[in-house]
Amino acid sequence: MNDQTLKKLKELVLARLTVMPQDISISIGDKNLDKKALTEHVQSEDEIGKQMMEMELEFLQDLASGAIYGHE
Amino acid sequence: MAMNKLFLVTRPNHDSATRYLYHWSELVIDEAKRKHIPVYDLSGNKATKTTFLSYLRSKHPGFLFLNGHGDAQTVTGQNYEVLLDETVNKEFVTDTIIYARSCDSGKILGSTLIQRGVLAFIGYTRKFIVGTTRSKTTKPLEDRLAKLFLEPSNLIPTTLLKGHSAGEADRRSKQEMLKNFQKMISSAGSFEERFAARWLWSDIRSQVVIGDQNASLNS
Repeated sequence: MNDQTLKKLKELVLARLTVMPQDISISIGDKNLDKKALTEHVQSEDEIGKQMMEMELEFLQDLASGAIYGHE
Repeated sequence: MAMNKLFLVTRPNHDSATRYLYHWSELVIDEAKRKHIPVYDLSGNKATKTTFLSYLRSKHPGFLFLNGHGDAQTVTGQNYEVLLDETVNKEFVTDTIIYARSCDSGKILGSTLIQRGVLAFIGYTRKFIVGTTRSKTTKPLEDRLAKLFLEPSNLIPTTLLKGHSAGEADRRSKQEMLKNFQKMISSAGSFEERFAARWLWSDIRSQVVIGDQNASLNS
C-alpha cells in the first residue's frame, strides 16, 4: 500500500471512529480501548492502529465483493 | 495412541481482557462437568508455568483450552507469565488438541506445535478482539455485546467436548459468529452492535485450524 492510500485509509478509519458509540470499547491484546484511546492508536499508527486500519480495509473489501453477504 | 479425555483450562484473571475470558470460560467448565469430563482448572493465580507443566507431565490432558494474552510465539498465564511456547517438551503435548484463545496464536505457534506432535491447533492469525460495554466490564457475563463474540468462541471447546472434530468445532463457531454478525449489521442490531460488527468480522477472518481437521477427543 502506498503512502497516499495509507493516508486515505487512516482518514477513513479516523472518520469512522468519530461515530463510535461512547459506551462501548474494544478489548484487543492486553488493552481495553474506548473511542479516545482507539483514535490515538490510529493516529500514531502503532501495532493496534495498523490492525484497525487493516481490519477496516478488509471489512470494506469484503463488503464490496459481497463476501460478507455470501455467508448468509 | 488413544486420546486422553482429560480437559485442562488456563484462565488468568489480571486485567480487563483476561477477566472476560476467565468468566466466559467458566461456562465451558460447567458444561464439561455436566458431561462428567474431568477438568483441571488453572484459574487466576494458579495459571502459572510451573503448575501448567506439572499437569501436562503428570495428567497428559488430551485437550488444552488456553485463555490469556500472547503473541505469535507464546501463550501466557497469570501476570503475563509464558505458559506455552516452542520450547515445551514434545512428550507433554503429543496427541493433544489445543485451542488458544489468545492473540496471534495461529501465526507461528500453532504450526510449531503441530511439528511437535499436537494433532490440531485452533487459534487466531491476528489479535483476538472482543467488543465490550464499558458499564459491564466488571460483570463480563452480563455484557450482551461481549456475548456476541465469546459465546461463539465457547462453541469451540464445547463442540470438541461432545466428541466432534477440530474442523467441525471451528465450523460451528464461525457459523455462530456469522449468525451474530448478520444480526448486528441488520436493522435488528443496535447502533453499538452495528459499529462493533467489523470487529467480529475480524475474528471470523482470523480464526484458523492448523493440523488435522479431523482430530477429535475420540481419536
